Amino acid sequence: MSDIRLENLTKRFGSFTAIENMNLHIRDGEFLALLGPSGCGKSTTMNIIAGMEKPTEGKVHFGDREVSRVPMGKRGVGFVFQNYAIFTHMTVRQNLEYGLRMNGLPAEERKRKANEMASFMELTSMLEKPTAGLSVNILQRIAIGRSAVLEPAIFLLDEPLSNVDAAFRSVMRYELKQLQRRFKQTMVYVTHDQLEAMTMADRIAVMDQGVLQQIGTPLEVYNNPANVFVANFIGAPGMNLLEGSLVSEGDRLFVNFAELQQKIELPESLATATQAVKSRDVVFGFRPEEVELDTQPGGLTLPATFLERIGARTILHLGKDVCEVKAVFENDVEVMLDSQVAFRPAMGSERLFEAASGKRIS
Amino acid sequence: MSNVDDTAKPVASGTVEKTDSHFHAYGKNRLGLYLTLPAQILVLFIALFPLLMQLYISLTDWTPLTGVRWPQAYQLWSGLANYADLLDDDRFYGALWRTFFIIIVAVPIEFFLGLAMALLFMDEFPAKRLFYSALLVPMMIVPAVAGYMFFLLFQSGGPINQLLSLALGTKVAISWLSDPDLALAAVIISDIWQWTPLMFLILLAGLLGVPSEQLKAATLLGASPWQRFLTILLPKIKAIMVIALAIRTIELFKIFDTLYIMTAGGPGVATETISVFIFKITTQELVWGYVAALALLILFTLSVIAGLAMYFLQRKKREVAA
Repeated sequence: MSDIRLENLTKRFGSFTAIENMNLHIRDGEFLALLGPSGCGKSTTMNIIAGMEKPTEGKVHFGDREVSRVPMGKRGVGFVFQNYAIFTHMTVRQNLEYGLRMNGLPAEERKRKANEMASFMELTSMLEKPTAGLSVNILQRIAIGRSAVLEPAIFLLDEPLSNVDAAFRSVMRYELKQLQRRFKQTMVYVTHDQLEAMTMADRIAVMDQGVLQQIGTPLEVYNNPANVFVANFIGAPGMNLLEGSLVSEGDRLFVNFAELQQKIELPESLATATQAVKSRDVVFGFRPEEVELDTQPGGLTLPATFLERIGARTILHLGKDVCEVKAVFENDVEVMLDSQVAFRPAMGSERLFEAASGKRIS
Repeated sequence: MSNVDDTAKPVASGTVEKTDSHFHAYGKNRLGLYLTLPAQILVLFIALFPLLMQLYISLTDWTPLTGVRWPQAYQLWSGLANYADLLDDDRFYGALWRTFFIIIVAVPIEFFLGLAMALLFMDEFPAKRLFYSALLVPMMIVPAVAGYMFFLLFQSGGPINQLLSLALGTKVAISWLSDPDLALAAVIISDIWQWTPLMFLILLAGLLGVPSEQLKAATLLGASPWQRFLTILLPKIKAIMVIALAIRTIELFKIFDTLYIMTAGGPGVATETISVFIFKITTQELVWGYVAALALLILFTLSVIAGLAMYFLQRKKREVAA
């Protein structure tokens, strides 16, 4: 068993809290992405799993084994550093064989395994070359191959794709997924790029300011963000969020936007959910991809401020500052700038959050 | 010197260029030469003149007492007699051997002590900065003062014997500095005390230059501390090790101040090294031609050591580049 359990994990550096009481269960054979902005504690979490940092409080379990006090060399995890940490005084082959050599494998077997890994990572032609001066893309493949050759049950990757060019990134995303399918390791992948997290991960753990915000499959996290932070962080552009307050009219429930002097009716399911909340201040959210242009009454109207054409799609900016709404359309949409645009979120795509705590109301 | 050659080269190799431009290039190159000439002459004067003067004197029997000014030293021309005498001088061989003996014993001890301490200082431990400062103190002390300190410490009634007496429970009265066998040991101990910190400092700088991720990566791949040292640290600080060893070897070859204050080369010639030997025959025997020959020989020896170190470093660099 090589599942990973983090139990009440806390890490402080002096007075700074990098991770706050984190509980996370990473399943055996799962590809989990730790996603969050820089400084959110995702790399620290990874370093604690690897044993490079000791937790201030809490425990780390690999399967049934508690490893919190096990030194990093004895945990048997594969680790790919952001800067790859290639041994620059060695050849490609020596790098690939390093772990095998340290573990005392006979030369014959070392050679066979290194050759095998080299052909899988497409490094065969440069096996005998010194690593100094090789391109970043190749260094990265060496870094992954060097760890993978030991077939670790747990594989940790610290933003491995942040230094490579865009074209190669998509190739590597595919290769990493292949690698995992082949060896069936538990993979933890730290990234600040939601595209990487969405495309590769079985589940995504979103972190912010040392706190785990949400964990779920990419679609869960995208469709049902647990709070305002996740709603805004996931998606490009992020979810539209408008502050308003709940207003009842008869048995119908509206969100009133004071700045806009407009209101929008809530669907019945959300209206029922609001009964559990005391505060009337809410944040109304909907995905830019789920905006419908609509002239019928009941929606919102905002002036078009900017049209962003990015090839396949067009992003329409409506209103500005706190009232800004973005809408994503096919590239053939035509809207006059500064004209008033009536729109509404698609049925069932509305999300509601508590204004004070940021938590989703559902 | 090589600058002059470089600027002159295009002129010599000028082939089918038009006369005009040929002269133009010629003139421009010459201008560069003229402009740098004062500086070049100065450099020549500083570097070459003393050397040539020394070479000249070494071929004569000239001393300041002969009443002849040094440019006229050719009147006392003796050819290679000084060099021949040198190769036949047992006192010279003795001094040379003692110098090498000190190097052979002290440099490896300083190296391994310095390396061990540098490795310790790669990790964090309480009061590290305090230890760090304390370790570097010996290096800051003026060698003459250090010599005086050890002169006092090694007196037969001095602190070292008192400590030994305390430790062994009986009265110890070793006459460190006047025993021909022990005086050299005392000198070596003082040198180790004073110069291990320099080794430590150079090697620590090298060790801290090794990227910490590579060490972590090695650990995660299962390397033990000893394996990490052999496979990552050692190959990466080889060049710095050579520099540290070369610096200490060359410095020790010239050992004088500490030693002279502790023993003045004595008892007898028991601690007489090359520098002390030169000092003594210069001031006491006044055979300046002989001294000049000796000094040139030492310069030659040190150049060979430095050259070997340079060669090794260059080869390393080429290996890395290849």
